[in-house]
Amino acid sequence: MNAQTRTWFPYVSPFDPCPPIRVKTYVVPPNLFITFQRPDLPQYSPAEALRAGTLWPSLYGPYNPQQDYTGREGSHGI
Amino acid sequence: MASEHQRGKEYYALLEQLQAIDFALVELNLYLDTHPTDSNAIEQFNDLTEKRWALANEYEKHYGPLQNLGRSYSGYPWQWNDEPWPWQV
Repeated sequence: MNAQTRTWFPYVSPFDPCPPIRVKTYVVPPNLFITFQRPDLPQYSPAEALRAGTLWPSLYGPYNPQQDYTGREGSHGI
Repeated sequence: MASEHQRGKEYYALLEQLQAIDFALVELNLYLDTHPTDSNAIEQFNDLTEKRWALANEYEKHYGPLQNLGRSYSGYPWQWNDEPWPWQV
């Protein structure tokens, strides 16, 4: 669970027909918290930027949904 | 058996370098659209553009044109429709 993933807990009713998903997650990437990008922010090298998907580490947001569904009750067995 | 112009490691290294610089240029271009007065970024953009063209010319010297329709030179005979195409690389 990286720093950019937050969780919430859906209501589970005793009458749910299927196994409940008790924990759900959502991602809060850094661009939500940066209104206007300051000049001269530190940068990755071009090779690293190509891997990271952005030139600026402060904007790096690795979105990885699969990590959230493993091993949770009723998580469709992913 | 490998076709006669099978590409070696340096071919892919050169291509990846070019791709990395192109990506950095895309990022800087988008950044500069909203920060037109950031002189450091403009300077970096121009440096990277110069570096990009040097690298592209280096690539084209060895492996033929990267683009067509007058954006790249061709050797003799005409090289544009030679293998490998981008999806074959």
